[in-house]
Amino acid sequence: MVKKSNIAELAIFGGERMFSTPKPTSNLVRPDFDKFLGYSKIFFERHQYTNDGVLVKQLEQRLAAFHQTEFCVTFCSGFWALALTIPALARPGKNEIVMPSFTYRRMADIAAWTRLKPHFCDVEEDTLANSAATVRPCINANTALIMGVHPIVNFCDIDGLVDLAKEKNIPLLFDSVESVYESYAGRKIGCFGAAEIFSLGASKLVNGFEGGYLTTNDAQLAERLALMRDFGFRGQDNIVVPGGLNARLNETHAAMALASMDDLEDQVARNRERYLAYKRLLAPLKGIRLLEFDESHRPGYKNIVIEILDDWPLSRADTVSILNAEMILARAYYTPPLHRKRMAYPHVPVELPVTDRLAERFVLPPCGHLVSNDDIGEIVGLMRFISANAAAIKARLNQQGAQ
Amino acid sequence: MSTTDFALFGAAPAFAEPLSVGQLYFPSWERYQEAFRGIFERQYYTEYGPLNQQLEQKLQQFLGVKHAICVTNETIAMMMLADAMGLTGKVILPAFAFIASAQSLSWAGLEPVFCDVDPDTHQIALDQIAALIDKDVSAIMGVHLWGGACAPKALAELAKSHGVQLYFDAAHAFGCAVDGVCIGNFGRAEVFSFHESNILNATEGGCICTNDDELAARLRTMRSSAGAGKPVEVTKTVNGRMSEAQCAIALMSLEDFPSNQKNNETLYRIYEAQLATIPGLRLVKPSGVSFSNYQYLVCQVDERAYGLSQDMLIALLKAEYVNARRYFYPGLHRTIPYAQELPQYLERLHNTDSLSALCIQLPIGALVSAQSVERICEILIRAHHAATAIHSRYAEFSLVNAG
Repeated sequence: MVKKSNIAELAIFGGERMFSTPKPTSNLVRPDFDKFLGYSKIFFERHQYTNDGVLVKQLEQRLAAFHQTEFCVTFCSGFWALALTIPALARPGKNEIVMPSFTYRRMADIAAWTRLKPHFCDVEEDTLANSAATVRPCINANTALIMGVHPIVNFCDIDGLVDLAKEKNIPLLFDSVESVYESYAGRKIGCFGAAEIFSLGASKLVNGFEGGYLTTNDAQLAERLALMRDFGFRGQDNIVVPGGLNARLNETHAAMALASMDDLEDQVARNRERYLAYKRLLAPLKGIRLLEFDESHRPGYKNIVIEILDDWPLSRADTVSILNAEMILARAYYTPPLHRKRMAYPHVPVELPVTDRLAERFVLPPCGHLVSNDDIGEIVGLMRFISANAAAIKARLNQQGAQ
Repeated sequence: MSTTDFALFGAAPAFAEPLSVGQLYFPSWERYQEAFRGIFERQYYTEYGPLNQQLEQKLQQFLGVKHAICVTNETIAMMMLADAMGLTGKVILPAFAFIASAQSLSWAGLEPVFCDVDPDTHQIALDQIAALIDKDVSAIMGVHLWGGACAPKALAELAKSHGVQLYFDAAHAFGCAVDGVCIGNFGRAEVFSFHESNILNATEGGCICTNDDELAARLRTMRSSAGAGKPVEVTKTVNGRMSEAQCAIALMSLEDFPSNQKNNETLYRIYEAQLATIPGLRLVKPSGVSFSNYQYLVCQVDERAYGLSQDMLIALLKAEYVNARRYFYPGLHRTIPYAQELPQYLERLHNTDSLSALCIQLPIGALVSAQSVERICEILIRAHHAATAIHSRYAEFSLVNAG
């Protein structure tokens, strides 16, 4: 650890980096190795490494129980879980999908793979997520599907979206990648809408190396997707549904996800400690607001989101650059928003003033398994140092920029 | 000849455990533990990690190709490739192939044009391609079958003379060579599968090989893997990452390739010698290659000479725990949705239709010993001699089961 006593020691100005290894915003949780091996041994002895293996089945049962749903279907990633579920739910003959722009950077590409036009909706100031009010103006005769996307902290407007979907008779799919652990109104996330999609990527709450899954109480949908992720085969030679591909989860990834599930309660406790450390340390820091989890929803505390307020003395871009130079891999929250990116495929042109404004304000500081509470102390300490020396830093940055 | 010693009619099965047709090579438990201990120590799980980089370098060396780009699985790789090559309209491919070849086109928004195959080699019928090329055809997808090759040089000339692109589904052809040049170097790109059923096993996995720098850069950007080179313009991205877990297994499998190929060839030679003595069973030899991986054992059943049909022989073998299967069945033009959407091919592809009713795939690979092959061939010989008796018992048996 390298402490800074004057601004020349900042890595952005050529000083030594504060951390010798990167401090990421990815969860990268490491389950117990022996547990992973224990699960691995099961498929190893059966000589079956994929194709709806015994561990995939075990994982699906466990996740369905966890989310209190009847069905869970796993996939090779959250991306392909969405790409298969969207067309399975979309209203036939309709071609628009309503989704927020302030979200996962590949969400519009997923729509493009399914040949639906993204129709981006705005988000609410207080949740950073879409709601019935922001979705309603985007609904028209072409709407095939509504996506409710949970933000990193707390929820999108679950009740409002469920009611709107019902009123308009349009299927509602939740992207719940960021809300695995939470409950709402006494029910686990996973139970809402027509289906909910989660990820088992290494940066997510449950690390399966790569992977994704869907939860639903709709037996027909679950069956259809289980077929579609395996080319549409029922039995060896019989293709019974169109639109399939290979999106199977392999057994090694299932073993990893199961071992991560074993550690989940402990992990959430560790995540909460990190969150509380940030909360305590950031409280006196002027110009930074921590987005607080609503603890009544039993959050997983996986990521930390802060807002750069108007009285923070540096721009967000400069703040992130200074941190990154120290190996603090803080990053801007969902920036640029999707409607501001070049798209080589059909989409509905929109103006999203709230998204545009919010897209300039939020930052994800480091979190997850590779970040200790001491690291958090050092990271916030550096932010204090930046704040205290802002004028000199700005001057030096301007000087550098001019050179 | 009596039927009483066949398991189908009540005798004990010839094998204690079902013997499946896939290659199923996998590292020893000790090597698996060691490789995964390394991953857990590095805590690098996906996103173009050290093992992914190592695997791509080793594949490039092994195949003598400039770029090897590892992907989640082969189907996703084929979809990415069709998009990255900028294909439009229609693509010609053989109808006697695995469903993934056609589905990759549908996902890329392309229409398949089904071509018939050669009745001897089973590879795409070169003399029928030109007649299928019209102004909408942008490419030919060659599919290398059965550890052989589909005349890639002749196809290259044909594609060039008609001004269309050429690429290959090389799922069956890892390690095979044409005149000493490894498959992976032909056409604009070739795609391998590292599914457990193939000689190189990553549980699931795929790899796009190309000597085209620009195409490789586009594919690396599309795949979404941080650190895999400078991002370039692409129309859309995917999650196409191969995890460190998949790469670890693939690296060990690549190390084992020489011994696994040798094992396959040894088993293949036993089948070859034995099948030569059985009337009506023709072993389909890997065609058009100077080196084969011998990963498939396919034979054609001539019912008149052998005495039993494809279906009856498969039922008989399955009862003995020899999980022989029809492959490919049916032709792609007879599957959902192509049979409904493109009915023009239904009565045109006679060789494909006939082969799908004649071919059976027999076990070859990690779990098959020389003794097992001898025993399988002995069943095949006995079944030939008892064919008449089997026919009458089979009719009886089917009636009983139908009742």
